[in-house]
Amino acid sequence: MIIQSAALMGILGLLFAILLGFAKRRFYVEVNPRIGKVEEVLPGVNCGGCGYPSCAAYAEAVAENGESVDLCVVGGSETTQAVAHAMGVEIAAEDKQRQIAVVFCQGTSEAAAFPGEYRGIPDCAIAISSQDVAKRCKYGCVGLGSCVRACPFDAIHISESGIPYVDAEKCTACGKCVEACPRDLIELHPVDHDSFVYCKSQDPAAVARKVCKKACIGCTLCVKAAAADDNEGAVRMDRNLAVVNTEKYTAKAEYGKKCPTNAYTTRANVVNVPPASSEVPVR
Amino acid sequence: MEYIAILIVTVLVNNFVLYYFLGICPLIGVSKKLDAALSMGIAVTFVMTLTAAATWLIHRLVLEPFGLPFLEYVSYILVIASLVQLLEMFIKKAIPTLYKTLGIFLPLITTNCAILFVALFQAMRDYGFLEAVLFGFGSGVGFTLVIVLMAGIREQLELSDIPKPFRGAPVTLVVAGILALAFMGFTGLASA
Repeated sequence: MIIQSAALMGILGLLFAILLGFAKRRFYVEVNPRIGKVEEVLPGVNCGGCGYPSCAAYAEAVAENGESVDLCVVGGSETTQAVAHAMGVEIAAEDKQRQIAVVFCQGTSEAAAFPGEYRGIPDCAIAISSQDVAKRCKYGCVGLGSCVRACPFDAIHISESGIPYVDAEKCTACGKCVEACPRDLIELHPVDHDSFVYCKSQDPAAVARKVCKKACIGCTLCVKAAAADDNEGAVRMDRNLAVVNTEKYTAKAEYGKKCPTNAYTTRANVVNVPPASSEVPVR
Repeated sequence: MEYIAILIVTVLVNNFVLYYFLGICPLIGVSKKLDAALSMGIAVTFVMTLTAAATWLIHRLVLEPFGLPFLEYVSYILVIASLVQLLEMFIKKAIPTLYKTLGIFLPLITTNCAILFVALFQAMRDYGFLEAVLFGFGSGVGFTLVIVLMAGIREQLELSDIPKPFRGAPVTLVVAGILALAFMGFTGLASA
């Protein structure tokens, strides 16, 4: 009995092994070995920051279609070098400025006016579509954490004051939260640039003041301060809002000295209270 | 008529997931999105049908004549594992896009208990060849039906305010229970 069963299983196993062996040869698919090499050096978090749905898809695009090797924002220049090496090309070590996400709203539970408590579905876009149940300010953060849920790196959280707090250490500037924010309050900026007008309100001064203590009222004092510092263009007016331009200029913190609402300030002064827990708030 | 009865019984009355509570792992793991759930269901259906056919042959032509029915489990697992491997190679060659959609779910079917159950059950019930194949196919269709229903419900659940301890797998199990209650309504439609 023992011999019989052992022989039977042995024969069965052998048969399947032969079958699979033949199938392996018959159905062999040639894969570009570079795809695997490139994929190996990518971070493997599938954040989509490069524009491809996964690291594997980006690796394939690089190896097969000659996609640019420097699209991985998460890995930075190190990964770019590694990918270039895997592809057999050498590129000059160019120091790309590391970026992080910046949230342009200071409408904390203290500063902003709330018409009432929102008790609907905890999603920013849905809250906004349900008219004025969220925050009085039509441009401000609703604080329901759509960006928090979008973040693949656990780098953005709703602070106790009700608006998002970006962990500069963890943020990789993948841009998921930028897409997730229905009010376009999040932008990517160089990490060492921390003076901004932390507001996106286009409301005229009278309205802006009423709905939020920290709103930009378009007084142009920071624009003038920048101009006086021979730095014209570092802060510009966009209708009723002053906007800091980080592309060519470096705005200094002192341009905001005269800001009547403290909308122009530095990162450290915005939300310096990290959330107590890393839980996604329910509402 | 008998064949239709087998189909109705396996798909609706004795549904693998909701009656026997088999294959719960993929039901919870792969039911977050509708299209992924559908692909998983189709892959499982395919493997179940093939498994039923292959194990019927092994049961009738090898195990019974040699008087070795106790080798059922071992040999069936061997058959299932090899079949899934073969299927994976074939799909990779023939339909690369489907291969990408199924991804890791395809090799994971090997360890799906519902598949082993199909193999064991058709032997237990002494089905004929066509009956066994239909049984495998019907089981797969039943699995697909439930996992797709589940995915549809879960896509809605994402937006609802579920108490914290229930989020994720727990509420999915509760939903599965309620679905099972609903499927009890099919009892008496036909019997195996």
